[in-house]
Amino acid sequence: MTAALIEARALGKSFGPTPVLRDVNLSVEAGHGAAVVGANGAGKSTLIRLLAGLAAPSLGAAMLFGEPALSLKPALRRRVGLLSHQSFLYPNLTARENLEFYATLYGVEGARAAAIEWLERVALGAAADARVRGFSRGMEQRLALARAMLARPEVLMLDEPFAALDADGAALAAALVGEAMDRGCAVLASAHSPSALAELGFAILTLSRGKLVRGEPSTTRESAARPPLARQVS
Amino acid sequence: MVSSFTAVLRKDLLLEVRGGQSTVALGALSLLVLVVLVFAFNPGGGEQGAEAAAGALWVALVFSGMLGATRAVSAESENGCIRALLMSPLDRAALYAAKLAAAFIFMAVAEAASIILMVLFFNLEFDARVMRLVPAVLLGALGFAALATLLAGISSRLRGGDLVLPLLAVPMFVPALIAGVKASASALGGAPSSEFAIWLKVLVAFDVMFVAAGYLLFEYVAREE
Amino acid sequence: MNGRGVRLGLGLVAGALMLAALYMVFVYVPTEADQGIVQRIFYFHVPCAWVAFVSFALVAIAGIFYLWLGQQVWDDLGYAAAETGMVFCTLVLVTGSIWAKPIWGAWWTWDSRLTTTLILWLLYGGYLMLRAMAGDSEQGARFGAVVGIVAAIDVPIVIVSVRLWRTIHPAVLVTRQGGHGLEDPRMVATLLVALAAFTALFIWILCLRFVTLRMHTRLGALARSLALAEAAAQDS
Repeated sequence: MTAALIEARALGKSFGPTPVLRDVNLSVEAGHGAAVVGANGAGKSTLIRLLAGLAAPSLGAAMLFGEPALSLKPALRRRVGLLSHQSFLYPNLTARENLEFYATLYGVEGARAAAIEWLERVALGAAADARVRGFSRGMEQRLALARAMLARPEVLMLDEPFAALDADGAALAAALVGEAMDRGCAVLASAHSPSALAELGFAILTLSRGKLVRGEPSTTRESAARPPLARQVS
Repeated sequence: MVSSFTAVLRKDLLLEVRGGQSTVALGALSLLVLVVLVFAFNPGGGEQGAEAAAGALWVALVFSGMLGATRAVSAESENGCIRALLMSPLDRAALYAAKLAAAFIFMAVAEAASIILMVLFFNLEFDARVMRLVPAVLLGALGFAALATLLAGISSRLRGGDLVLPLLAVPMFVPALIAGVKASASALGGAPSSEFAIWLKVLVAFDVMFVAAGYLLFEYVAREE
Repeated sequence: MNGRGVRLGLGLVAGALMLAALYMVFVYVPTEADQGIVQRIFYFHVPCAWVAFVSFALVAIAGIFYLWLGQQVWDDLGYAAAETGMVFCTLVLVTGSIWAKPIWGAWWTWDSRLTTTLILWLLYGGYLMLRAMAGDSEQGARFGAVVGIVAAIDVPIVIVSVRLWRTIHPAVLVTRQGGHGLEDPRMVATLLVALAAFTALFIWILCLRFVTLRMHTRLGALARSLALAEAAAQDS
């Protein structure tokens, strides 16, 4: 049995007395994807933050690679990529400098070359030496995606990856995510609407008022073709 | 880890050069503080003048230091970059060291300007006595940077937290402040170097303790909720 | 029930010791030759200082345990110690001022001990303001612990530097008697009883405050469980 790379066990989070997540169970194995769908305020971002180790759970466990996400060792943190609402980009640095910086932090061999490669992949090659401050939201989002993926993480968490992207940008992002999954990456994504992610073969989980209301985690995905339907295991 | 430290420090310095304006702001603040103190104390020459000059220099150091540390830390708050840093394999202690180094560098530049202004405003001479100031000021800047970087890590996370930094930093800095002012006054007044040495030792002890404390405790400050 | 009995017992002990101390300070101990009646403040001033410093150490120790073990009880202890210690620290400064005025004609002397206590007071104040600003959160507890530890590390070096400051450049006013020049054994006895009384008082107040904070923590946990139960009920 493959160990789940991303796992939530009876995960709960309350801010003060208010519960935001309740008894969430999911697991994502290598090469699979899960999409958490729900209205605003349903707790999608909180769930991702807990699984990314950026916040402590109130109840239950958020695990990556079988270890608690909050206290992940640096060697494991290298293998995690996060795309968030916030871009994590330095506005006064150029696109290339941003990627080079993060590449160095993540110990990527040949940071410069990697930065250039990824800039090309997200179609920002022309804007490599422009400061991020001047970027449109779509460009920022693409650069942020590149930032999340350039260290070739084994776990990828994407909070609304298609936000602010036009059709081309979205197609690009989808292709990159699919590629990562083919590589064996476990992906957890959140979105308002699941269509694009369903097409990639993500299992669709719905979060409502802090609880996953539909289905336990399914992490099954046909290998060759990408079926439009997500299968759910109860 | 050293490469991470260098990467973060390089980035901060690069951002500063790109128009961060921190050193300018710190220099300007130091200038203003010195001007205010000249009017406040209307110093004469001689030993009294040396004491007043030393005091003014260190007041400027404290104020510009608070600004410097706040800026070094808050450079990460735009676009949530601090979260990205915490998520990365970057060692928390290396992050602290890099922030400390950045704050120290900003302060050192501002202090250099302050020393020059002090000599001008307080009618001193640019001689060996002023040179003796340099180790005291550098040690003081290092100690304050160590302290303030740790505290800025806290104050930047709190709403309305800008009060917290001076409120805590000033009393905590008192030993180094006393030592620094006394060392500077004795350097400028031409006092025996034994006295100067004692105060310098206090500064060194302060620096060692606070850099170590910051290094060990920063990870508890830098956690997310 | 057991806890309440202990608190009551502590209160009674503290009360009894206080009464004994008051008797000794105002009736038993002879008036000091140089300073007159005002000197009796010394028997309140010194124990308060002792308590203030001990409390400060307690804040730091509680902070270390909190960071290490992550258990809320340590933070509750630290916060209670900070609040209680602050009260006694304020008393040190106030009694010091009351003492100074008739003796030296000034409301404040920058002698080394009083100055150090002032710094301590400022550190306490900073801690309490920080906790107030951070509110009721895990972050507040963590920050408090860090500040408590750093401040406690700071205090020894404050003591050293302030003392050097005062010896190399003596104070404008003559440094007051350290209080260790107590010749009469009755004075020593009175001081010891006063120390015991104030320590007991401190422990009692600390316990009361600590228990209140514990209840607050438990209430928070209960509120969370209740909210979860309510949400679960709404699901079905």
